[in-house]
Amino acid sequence: MAYLTQPDYVKYICSCGQLKPITSLYFCRHCLKIRCGFCICHEVDSHYCANCLENMPSSEARLKKNRCSSCFDCPSCFHTLSTRATTQQRQVLQDPAAGGDTKVESKQPKKMYYLSCFNCRWTSRDVGIPDQPVASGGWPERTNPHAARVNQLIDYYKAIAQQEKQEKIERERKKFNIRGKYITLTDKTGLTGAMARNIAGLPSSESSSSAIANFVPSVATAEVDELPEDIFTKEVNLNQITSMPQRLASPDWQPVSVSRLHPLAKLLSVKRSQRCRACDHNLTKPEYNPGSIKFKIELLAYYHVPEVKIISHEPVKPGEKTALFLKLTNPTGHEMQLRLLQPEDIPPPEEKEEPKSIDKSLERSLVLEKDTTAFKAIERQPNISATSRVTSPGVTLTLAQRDDAAEYDDDAQHDTNDIILWRKSNKLGVRLELDTSAEAVGGSPARALVALQYSYRNTVPPAPSAAACRDHTLYTTLLLDLGTVSSN
Amino acid sequence: MSHNVKILPGATVCEDCTLEGDITIGGGTVIHPRVTIIAEGGPIIIAEYCIIEEYSTIIHKKSDKQENPPKPLFIGAHNVFEVGCKLESPCGHIGESNVFECRSFVGEEVKIGSGCVIGAACRLTAPQTLADNTVIWGSDHHIREALEKQPSQLLQLDFLSKVMPNYHRLRKPNVHKRQPSTRQSTEPSPKP
Amino acid sequence: MELPDTYYNKSEYVETASGNKVSRQTVLCGSQNIVLHGKVIVQSDAIIRGDLANVKTGRFCIISKGSVIRPPFKKFSKGVAFFPLQMGDHVFVGEHTVVNAAVVGSYVYIGKNVVIGRRCVLKDCCMIEDNSVLPAETVVPSFARYSGSPAKLISTLPEAMPDLMTEFTKSYYQHFLPTTVQ
Repeated sequence: MAYLTQPDYVKYICSCGQLKPITSLYFCRHCLKIRCGFCICHEVDSHYCANCLENMPSSEARLKKNRCSSCFDCPSCFHTLSTRATTQQRQVLQDPAAGGDTKVESKQPKKMYYLSCFNCRWTSRDVGIPDQPVASGGWPERTNPHAARVNQLIDYYKAIAQQEKQEKIERERKKFNIRGKYITLTDKTGLTGAMARNIAGLPSSESSSSAIANFVPSVATAEVDELPEDIFTKEVNLNQITSMPQRLASPDWQPVSVSRLHPLAKLLSVKRSQRCRACDHNLTKPEYNPGSIKFKIELLAYYHVPEVKIISHEPVKPGEKTALFLKLTNPTGHEMQLRLLQPEDIPPPEEKEEPKSIDKSLERSLVLEKDTTAFKAIERQPNISATSRVTSPGVTLTLAQRDDAAEYDDDAQHDTNDIILWRKSNKLGVRLELDTSAEAVGGSPARALVALQYSYRNTVPPAPSAAACRDHTLYTTLLLDLGTVSSN
Repeated sequence: MSHNVKILPGATVCEDCTLEGDITIGGGTVIHPRVTIIAEGGPIIIAEYCIIEEYSTIIHKKSDKQENPPKPLFIGAHNVFEVGCKLESPCGHIGESNVFECRSFVGEEVKIGSGCVIGAACRLTAPQTLADNTVIWGSDHHIREALEKQPSQLLQLDFLSKVMPNYHRLRKPNVHKRQPSTRQSTEPSPKP
Repeated sequence: MELPDTYYNKSEYVETASGNKVSRQTVLCGSQNIVLHGKVIVQSDAIIRGDLANVKTGRFCIISKGSVIRPPFKKFSKGVAFFPLQMGDHVFVGEHTVVNAAVVGSYVYIGKNVVIGRRCVLKDCCMIEDNSVLPAETVVPSFARYSGSPAKLISTLPEAMPDLMTEFTKSYYQHFLPTTVQ
């Protein structure tokens, strides 16, 4: 997406080894590492309906099965249904005994509403749903004939899951007892099992056991209704039969005939925040308002890591040196020192054990059920073969800070340097040399790996324990897509 | 400009459009700017109360197996041709109250009944006959049958015929009806 | 790759004091009802129907060749009303696209040969891919990428979409140059 509509010519290597364009990467200011959508935690912030932009609390969303209560999708084509108004002469059901003049005022035209699809022209009248007197809501809800049984099954499986969880906890506790040395949290704080269960929001064990005890398994029956007489002789009208997607859209009814299609409540969307797995800090956090495009926290690589774009390049030829023009951009508010290196020149990351604060370990121990392996950030390097090398110029380039006012004076400075082509506020055009290996086969994709060394000033207010170091030297590797190797 | 274009009183036809050949435009019809109507294979007759929007193209194509005298292409009343739609039908007859949505294409040898909707960007190229109230939509050209006819656009026509003369240069009606019609566009017609 | 320079015939385009570049080959109906908020490019054969209702665009909008911007109408019991069409800043409308929307937010990319149905609402930061059809009254939420006919949500957009669109429209404007007179 860095080029909006073009393919991603430049890809950065994430700390987890994924290759991603800069727009889908994040930058953790606390770990000073690049993260991508695959190596961070995604959390649901709020539920909202994408059609009416109404927020819904998560408890209500769960109760309504993550569906909006006022918006509907067309059961025929799945496009959003619109509410149409019609004026209707209300048909007054007059009781002859009550006399005519008592109900005269109700004869005036009344607005009635029905649902209509602008895509396939389906309307709620097609299936005989009566028009409603109110514009939103109030549409008849159907109940599944098997609703009771489904609920029973859900309760049963919930109870079983509960019981298994319980047993697991018991087993864990036994393990602790064998070790004997440690005091468990419950011992230390005097919490009883029932209280712990209460805190965790679990139902007491008695109710779950009753659900299991009272459960009746389903019994298969050999008695099936006879097929109708004319099943093989009646002509099939395909317009009257629902399609597979239409049936699967409402799994609890699976209508066979189009006359049984009912509006589908619209599924909710979520706003999500993203969190670094290594340090638990937020990387993105959107504003609560569903219509807002702003973020409270927005640690994108696009705002912190120097952006590299290919301006143009000569055709890549095996065993030859060709020119490559790049544009470098400094998105930060501080001056940046930048060096282009070979990927193997990157010093290995220093292993440093983070001093764990006591608060954190306590917090960890409280989270009983959290499976910590799922939250671990794994770092690896991808194995990429590149056909070309970018010769490192061996000079440090200085990029000015981003200045929003600078866009108005738009005459670019032309340096007479042999590397720097032009300089324009926080942007820099460079000419580099591309050295392609002689073994590169014509027609195969031409790629080059480049490493960047850049200075980064961290603006996070330093924690009291942390060192006062604010300026860092960081490294990143990127892969340039240079089309194909020309054959001659 | 061809002299064979007959515009009946009450029609609103913008000057900025291409009309070639023997064309008759019925009363109450509104033709927006940049419309192309070419009657090369025979006359085109557009009935009353149609809306033809920008960049629409209606062509009565020449064909080899043409009858002599050429059969006219008759477009019924209350049809709506939305922005950028294209109709190349020598098939003689298009019913009433159809909607040709934006950028739709109706090729030769497609017969269209009444109350049909050709969805946006749908392309009908194979020879076929659309029954009344057929709705075609989507890239897969799904077909369904609507319960009722498409509502008429009389209210929109009313608005357009009032507003458009204030902004556009129009072609003057050049044919006077032989007998005074009961349906005059100036008086608001009752909604059916 | 960087956007290439697009050259236009200097005699074809009119440049206003606020930096709008409008082709003489366009059809601007009811131009007193059309407000282009500066640095807007309207290319040849585009139609803007200001005669039906007001059309307002923000800054740095690009209306490509052959596209039609048309305020939508709505039927009421007593007649038809055309709604004004509002467009935010940094909006790109591709070639031969029909926009019948009620509101187009800021930072919106609409591809070519797209049909935006009547009274659609396109929120800020969304993208409609080429050849899509958005049926009438669709609401496209922020950061959504729609494609197909009828258009459906296919993926989400990166959080930096506002900056990407700003850069795209600004550099399009900068690369939209008159042919040098020999």
